[in-house]
Amino acid sequence: MPIQQKNISVKLDARFSVSTTVKVIDYVMERFIKIGGIGVIAAVSGIFVFIFLEILPLFQWPEVKEIGVVSMPQREYLEMGVDQWGKKPFFLDTESNFHFLTLDTGQITTIPAQLPDSVRVTAYDYSQEGGTLVCGFDDGRFCLFNVEYSERFIDGVRELEPSIKRSEIYRIGRTGHPIESITYADSGDQKIIAVVQDTGARATVSLVRLMQEQTLLGSGAVTIDEEYDLTNQFEGTPVLLLAGTQADALLIATDEGRISYFNIDDEDCELMQVFQPFADLADPAINTLDYLFGGVSIVITAATGENRVFSLFIPANGTSRLFGHTKSFPNFTEPVTNYSPSLRNKAFLLSSDRTLSLRFATNSSIRWEAQLDYNIRDTVISSKYDRLMVLSDDSNLHVYNLHDPHPTSGISAFFSRQWFEGSPFPKFEWQSTGASDDYEPKLSMIPLIIGTLKGTFYAMLFATPLALSAALYTSQFLDRRIRTIVKPTMETMASLPSVVLGFLGALWLAPLIETRLVFIFLLIVLLPVGAILTGYCWSRLPMKIQRGVPAGNEFLVMLGIFVIGFVACWYLAPTVERRFFSVVDPVNGQVVSDFREWWRLTTNTPFEQRNSLIVGFVMGFAVIPIVFSIAEESLSNVPTALSSGALALGASRWQTAVRIVIPTASAGIFSALMMGLGRAVGETMIVLMVTGNTPVLDFNMFTGMRTLSANIAVELPEAPHGGTLYRTLFLGALILFIFTFFINTLAVTLREHLRSRFKTV
Amino acid sequence: MEPKRKKISSIRSTPAGEVFIWLNAMGLAVGLIMISGILLLVVYQGIISFWPKDVLELHVEPSSVGSLPNSRVVSGEIAKKQNKKVRRTPSQGDDPDIEWQLFVGNKDVFGFSFVYVDYNSITKVAKPADIIVLERQEYGRAIGYAIALNKGNVRVVEAGAREFDQTLNDKLRQTEERRREINRIERVEIGRVNAAMESIRLKLKRAASDGKLDLSEESGDIQILRETSAELTVEYGVLEQRARELRAQQDEFQLRYRLSSGEERDISVGEIIDYTYPNRLGPLQKIGLLFQRSYRFAVEYPREANTEGGIYPAIFGTFVMTLIMSLIVTPFGVMAAIYLSEYAKNGLFVRLVRIAVNNLAGVPSIVFGVFGLGFFVYFVGGNIDQIFFSDRLPTPTFGTGGVLWASLTLALLTVPVVVVATEEGLAAVSRGMREAGLACGASKWQCIQRIVLPAAAPGILTGIILAVARGAGEVAPLMLVGVVKSAPTLPINATFPYLHFEQKFMHLGFHIYDLGFQSPDSEAAKPVVFATTFLLIMLVIGLNLIAIYLREKLRGKLEATH
Repeated sequence: MPIQQKNISVKLDARFSVSTTVKVIDYVMERFIKIGGIGVIAAVSGIFVFIFLEILPLFQWPEVKEIGVVSMPQREYLEMGVDQWGKKPFFLDTESNFHFLTLDTGQITTIPAQLPDSVRVTAYDYSQEGGTLVCGFDDGRFCLFNVEYSERFIDGVRELEPSIKRSEIYRIGRTGHPIESITYADSGDQKIIAVVQDTGARATVSLVRLMQEQTLLGSGAVTIDEEYDLTNQFEGTPVLLLAGTQADALLIATDEGRISYFNIDDEDCELMQVFQPFADLADPAINTLDYLFGGVSIVITAATGENRVFSLFIPANGTSRLFGHTKSFPNFTEPVTNYSPSLRNKAFLLSSDRTLSLRFATNSSIRWEAQLDYNIRDTVISSKYDRLMVLSDDSNLHVYNLHDPHPTSGISAFFSRQWFEGSPFPKFEWQSTGASDDYEPKLSMIPLIIGTLKGTFYAMLFATPLALSAALYTSQFLDRRIRTIVKPTMETMASLPSVVLGFLGALWLAPLIETRLVFIFLLIVLLPVGAILTGYCWSRLPMKIQRGVPAGNEFLVMLGIFVIGFVACWYLAPTVERRFFSVVDPVNGQVVSDFREWWRLTTNTPFEQRNSLIVGFVMGFAVIPIVFSIAEESLSNVPTALSSGALALGASRWQTAVRIVIPTASAGIFSALMMGLGRAVGETMIVLMVTGNTPVLDFNMFTGMRTLSANIAVELPEAPHGGTLYRTLFLGALILFIFTFFINTLAVTLREHLRSRFKTV
Repeated sequence: MEPKRKKISSIRSTPAGEVFIWLNAMGLAVGLIMISGILLLVVYQGIISFWPKDVLELHVEPSSVGSLPNSRVVSGEIAKKQNKKVRRTPSQGDDPDIEWQLFVGNKDVFGFSFVYVDYNSITKVAKPADIIVLERQEYGRAIGYAIALNKGNVRVVEAGAREFDQTLNDKLRQTEERRREINRIERVEIGRVNAAMESIRLKLKRAASDGKLDLSEESGDIQILRETSAELTVEYGVLEQRARELRAQQDEFQLRYRLSSGEERDISVGEIIDYTYPNRLGPLQKIGLLFQRSYRFAVEYPREANTEGGIYPAIFGTFVMTLIMSLIVTPFGVMAAIYLSEYAKNGLFVRLVRIAVNNLAGVPSIVFGVFGLGFFVYFVGGNIDQIFFSDRLPTPTFGTGGVLWASLTLALLTVPVVVVATEEGLAAVSRGMREAGLACGASKWQCIQRIVLPAAAPGILTGIILAVARGAGEVAPLMLVGVVKSAPTLPINATFPYLHFEQKFMHLGFHIYDLGFQSPDSEAAKPVVFATTFLLIMLVIGLNLIAIYLREKLRGKLEATH
């Protein structure tokens, strides 16, 4: 017996204990699902984190790191330049020798300039852009040097072979008098050279224009085309000269800090403007004067260290481009001794004895600034904007790595007005790419945000009344049987792909509405009026007829009223247009009755076929179902006890709806509107197709817009990976993300709140 | 009793605010008219783009058709009757001038396909029964009168002859077979040879870079590769020769036809896809043709920069993309939903997560596209290329948009849809059922697997269907992660390894956008766009209606169990 009993108990144990397999599976599945579930949620928040990380570099300051010092032979160096790969800088010493330094090996190659023994260099000017050095001599002559690098590939490694090409020696101005200052510019077929010469009395300024024949075989001989003496065309002692980079301008700065701007064309050399950049300072003298990359702006520093940028633009009531003060930078504590522009963007490097400052013109920011422990003789920014080279007084070359991939970006670039080159005033503008390399990217988010808000506004303007009235009617008054059909129908509308709506809106609706605007406006006004009138008359009818349409079926009558209203407006519209929207065409004096013309001529604002009205209308299709279904749900979820109570107390069904149901469901209705708003803000395809996608800053009903989302769709496929534009578009996406997340959270929280309130009722 | 009743009826029984109810009714009426209007429009336009229209022959006053000044007779299908675009003045009458937009075809002759004809200048409208419409490989349709079928200079059969149609049909069938064969050779056979040659090229390149293969001339490996390469080149030549011969045969017969202007032209029978005498067709034949055309639209490849032919690659691309998407989104979405409703403790965290998931449904789709491009394409794809396909760089393999990245992006986009629907489904399973399961000794997972999940199946299915509908209709994110206007090969094809996850693909929604907005001849493309729209809308709305039906059923169950 005991044995038997033991057996039974063993069997029972086995039967009631859970098998290990089940336990293991249960354990594994629990872990698996937990990991999977949390993983999905983590992935979702990962989106935010990833996009955020992508835009972070936009707001980073540059990293500048010294990567080496090369000692040069002790000499006095006048000028320094570098090849476009930043590998072989050269130095010009006082004995007119060019020293080429190979940075990788420290090896120095010296090429003598081979000038006649009789001349001494008294002035020079080097432009890194063309690699041309111009030297003025003590006998009033000058010559040009071209620093050229020929590249060879040895085992796949680029080897640079530098060479110096010297032009013949030309004479300029007053022969025999030393050249004190010289400037040079080259636009391909035209070159200009201007000099200041010391003649004992007042210094003279002369300008020559060189012409170079461009033949099929290459560049031909250089000949002096014309010579001008500008000495008497300005007042004061000339100290600085600057030739416009396109060889079309000459700036002469005097010791009193006055700049005379001459425009040079094929025929003439004409004084355009005289201005004093530092007129407000005690010492208005100009210390340095040079062009920014692109040749539209000049960077000027005063003897006191003030730093300003002047740009060429056509002033508000002017006809020709003149210089105007566009930007000011914080003071430099010491007088600036050196200026180097970047050849890739609007950055420039200023230095005094020991301070080095990297500045960016577009957003007037100091990108980087440092105190060095040696005296600076000369500086240069490499062509790729990735290296800084600083030559010290004791002939050491300090090489710095510059990592500044997004100099144009920054909070101010995205959200405040910027004074772009060529514009007469600061403004918000989005235009990310231009035709030329020296284009300033305009990356203001403001026009896009305004465009987004504009599209959303018109969409909500159209959708809100329709969706809410439909929701109220469906939930409170509509016949229950019809409701089961109406609700899914409206919900189906939510599933219409937006590309279909956009296509119909742009290619079918826009041309259709364009000529029938008056009809649309009439419809908007007359339909509600018609509905109210019908309602009023109906309630005056005898009960017998009223009973013909049971409560909850009014909308069937409305379908008929809609058709009648539609037809009436259709036939009324041309008459109304003729009566109220006729306008005299100022061109030929003809009277035109066309709303579009009327709008253009009376409001002086443009009219576009693909405009905000259409966007609002088409986007309404996308927004209405969302607002409708959420609002309808919260209205129908109001406990019947509340409305029954009101009805029992004698309130009419309208009174019950307005005084009891709507206030109770108000949070839900608000949340429905928020959800609709979120959809409208992020809608892409409709806006992309229905508007012209021009960034605008106005709320005009008859112009288009460019929204954040459409902007991404238009520009991101073409944006180079990792570039400033790419990351800026990510910033647009982040703004959208945050905006919709905020709106949706508000909506969801309100709905949760409403739900819990109903539970207690 | 009598007076009392009278008293009641004498009260004006107009409850307060009735008028506003009517106003609200108007709101609903407008909403319903909008939705039904847009659906009807798409259905109507979709159907008429396949409907064989009559071809009219219009006799007009000399030089009244602006773009065809020398014609006195134009024939074509009426595309639109519209008011003339003139400036309206107050003095003008209510009847504006009407003009007809006529589809005249013969783009190879005229250089355009549409003309506008002033209604007032039309002197005679005829409907000749003999007019023939030729559907061609290039230049769209030709409209004219058939004259004869020729073989070189030899006349085979006159158009009037009884056996003309019979002969033409025979020839068309033959050319159709040859065209299929050419297609097979070019798409499948030559594609296979090309892939093999490319893989040899890559092998050699890889060998050169990592030195694993002996590169010396005598080495066996190199010899084998060289030989294979030579064999492939020969095979390529043979295939190409075969295709060339077939092509030459295509041009053996020509159809001579006359335009209504009198000009006579020849067209190679190989160029003709199909022909009809539209004015001879009865209603039944037209309906038959409608179905035939719709079928061909769905199964053919596009021609003429997508403006002619079918949309098979777009349908297939959409299908593959949504398929991969649902394979990814279903397990993860369901898992997240099970975690939320079965495992997670109901607290602040779960509430926050639920809000976040709900919220994610409202994040604009383009943001997902941006994420997909940055994360999947450039980050993940770029790294995959570095590790596995470095020999193909700088040409990206996975580091560019493709069907896999598009599917993943859309999977992320549709996760909330599946989660919400599944949660709803799980909530509908009554507590009693769970407890019964647990009481019978089932473990938690057994209970979920055997009881909860089967009962929640309609909810999960609803979620998947809604996700698929969303995925099929979404375009904006796809534009960033791999959709193209014209893909040479399908993402699943006969070339090893058969599934090409990295390949770019075509999509119905993008097809609409591209044809409507980027096409050089958007007027000619309109029928194709409307037909595509029709197809897409039917697909999306059909899926949604199924989902709504399932959900209603589920809600019914939910109410019954609680």
